[in-house]
Amino acid sequence: MPIIVNLDVMMAKRKMSLNELSEKVGLTLSNLSILKTGKAKAIRFSTLEAICKVLECQPGDILEYADKEQKTTNQ
Amino acid sequence: MATRTNNFVFWGLYIVAWLIFIGLSIEAGGLIVNFFFSLYRPEFVQNLYQKLDLTEMYNDSRLAFFGVYSFILTISILKACLFYTVIRLMHKMDLSKPFSTFVARQLSLISYYTLSIGLLSFIARQLVKNLMHHGFVADNLNHFWADSQAFILMGAIIYIIATIFKKGVEIQNENDLTV
Repeated sequence: MPIIVNLDVMMAKRKMSLNELSEKVGLTLSNLSILKTGKAKAIRFSTLEAICKVLECQPGDILEYADKEQKTTNQ
Repeated sequence: MATRTNNFVFWGLYIVAWLIFIGLSIEAGGLIVNFFFSLYRPEFVQNLYQKLDLTEMYNDSRLAFFGVYSFILTISILKACLFYTVIRLMHKMDLSKPFSTFVARQLSLISYYTLSIGLLSFIARQLVKNLMHHGFVADNLNHFWADSQAFILMGAIIYIIATIFKKGVEIQNENDLTV
């Protein structure tokens, strides 16, 4: 999928563990793991809002669009 | 209470499905053995499975005999495969979580088997009718494809249910992966 989830990058920047984020956002660890590994098919606005609030960032910092062709030419 | 009744009905049907599968397997096995006997020992053609006598057809035309016999054999094997799929579905299905890709795939398989049986039975019946117009004796074959229309109707209904079920599983998977 061309949408990349950069949750781990933001978590590293804020020095926050998955457990801590899970507690603060109110999501289960398994759901956060699904999101972090890019297996999620959709994300609710309420979840995105909560994550952005806790990590003090914008939705664009967490989600990124990367075209497959562009990615291969860049490489 | 309702769950207990449902479970009772489910296990009852499971046992019935096993019994039908065993019966159909014996029939298919018997017909396969007869087929090989008719290839190498033609004198056994008068004593086929369940006293089926196709000697006249065999003597008149080998092509007609093997054509009709192939239909009988294919239909009985498909029926056995259909009930094997039903048994596998009932054995592996988790009643508390029935919406899985496995169940959806098995339902599609069941619908394909049922439709194939129905269509093959229908074609075979028409073929035998034509053969009878040409003077072949094939009165005793009717019970092999008497219920072709019922199979086609049942196959069509199961196909629709399987398609809806598949879509439902897709929606459920998508819902499960929504964070």
